[in-house]
Amino acid sequence: MPSGPPPVPGPPPPPGVSVPPAPASYPAPTAGPSWLPAVQHLSGPPLPPPPPGHALAPGVASAPAASGGPVRAPRRRRVAVVVLSVLLVASLAAGGITVAYLLRTTSAWQDTAAQWEHVARAHGAEVAEAQADLAATREQLATAQARITQLADEKAQLGDESAATQQLADYQARISQAAGDVATALATCIDGQQNLIGYLQNPQLYDAAALASFRADVEEYCGAARDANAALQAELTR
Amino acid sequence: MRTRIVVAVLGTALLAGCSMLPQMPEPVPTSVVPPVGTAGSQLSPDGFDAVQRMAVRIRNVGCGTLSTGSGFAIDEHTLVTNKHVVADSAELEIATYDGRDVRATAASTAQLADLAIIVTAEPLPYAPQLADTDPVQGDPVTVVGYPLGGELTVTDGTIVGAEQDPLQATLGTVLVTDAQVEPGSSGSAVLDADGRVVGVVYAKSASGYSYVVPVSTLKAMLDDTSAFSPAPTCTG
Repeated sequence: MPSGPPPVPGPPPPPGVSVPPAPASYPAPTAGPSWLPAVQHLSGPPLPPPPPGHALAPGVASAPAASGGPVRAPRRRRVAVVVLSVLLVASLAAGGITVAYLLRTTSAWQDTAAQWEHVARAHGAEVAEAQADLAATREQLATAQARITQLADEKAQLGDESAATQQLADYQARISQAAGDVATALATCIDGQQNLIGYLQNPQLYDAAALASFRADVEEYCGAARDANAALQAELTR
Repeated sequence: MRTRIVVAVLGTALLAGCSMLPQMPEPVPTSVVPPVGTAGSQLSPDGFDAVQRMAVRIRNVGCGTLSTGSGFAIDEHTLVTNKHVVADSAELEIATYDGRDVRATAASTAQLADLAIIVTAEPLPYAPQLADTDPVQGDPVTVVGYPLGGELTVTDGTIVGAEQDPLQATLGTVLVTDAQVEPGSSGSAVLDADGRVVGVVYAKSASGYSYVVPVSTLKAMLDDTSAFSPAPTCTG
């Protein structure tokens, strides 16, 4: 590491300020920046003389006096230099660690952002596909519902037709039954009347009471035929 | 002592500075799709709307007569229709919106309104809620039923007023709507915008308006068990 410019003697002491001679262990002032404020004071503007009884600042007060006072100031300065150097190194190290951490964090966030983008794009594609499927499914559902409704209606219409057909069949069965009853009763009536006519052509050959009874039976047969016909007419008019 | 203070200050500053540094990102999950719950879903099991699922088609097989009407469920085994839909029947045949047959076990008619209730052996698909109050003029309504005995139809309209029953079939006032109905729509449910029953269609005027038994009358009838008596049937 290159060293700085050689130390140069400081400016002459201002009037009224006594500067003790630098001891052998005293660090020589340099033209560059210094961590020692006492040295900076030496290169600054002239200081007014301290008032009587004035207590100097700790750094100044600890400087060795020309009259051979305490010599703790150089040791404290060395300690301060060491401490500050350690702090400087620690700060630089902390800064380096921080920069490294920030770089690593930035890289991690970039990776995470890329992964999220990948996830987002994948889900976007899935959503688009799902929307297309949903639209198709909705269309199919609407078609299926319309078909179900149509089939339900067709079934209902068939049920109506079946019920109407059954009613017509029942009606026709009733008509047929009534007509059959009419025909049967009418045939019985006609047969009875023909027999009665034959009997009446020679009434002396038959018992009068039996003949009267037969006539009553024939009238009953014909009355049944009339009732059957009335029932038939009633069915026809329903 | 001062050194300790300096160390403490420096330590605190270091911790504060560290806390200001950004944290490392959390690992990216493989999927961000949340779990989908099915509890409380309002979807019907087959995609049909509740409006359609509540409706039933009623076939009145009489003694030499055949007619159709509409109705709607009010609970799992009870449906409401008109008195004239179920009157003089030898058999009542009920079908749901999807064509399933439901057997009727009993039918009762109201004395003071053109209303009837039918009890079914099989459960009905869906039962709507009854509204608390009658609709007023201008309220939108929806009528769901089987006009002309055809396909299930949903028709929109509005309440245009209220008047005395021109057919003298229902005590009190009835509602008038401009929703289009046809023979076979009798017994159709009239729903409000929230899908609640606000009335029952029972007649149609020559000018195209439909007459509705208000839900207040329906609820009054349902609350009075003596208001209904067995429906008249035919024999032969």
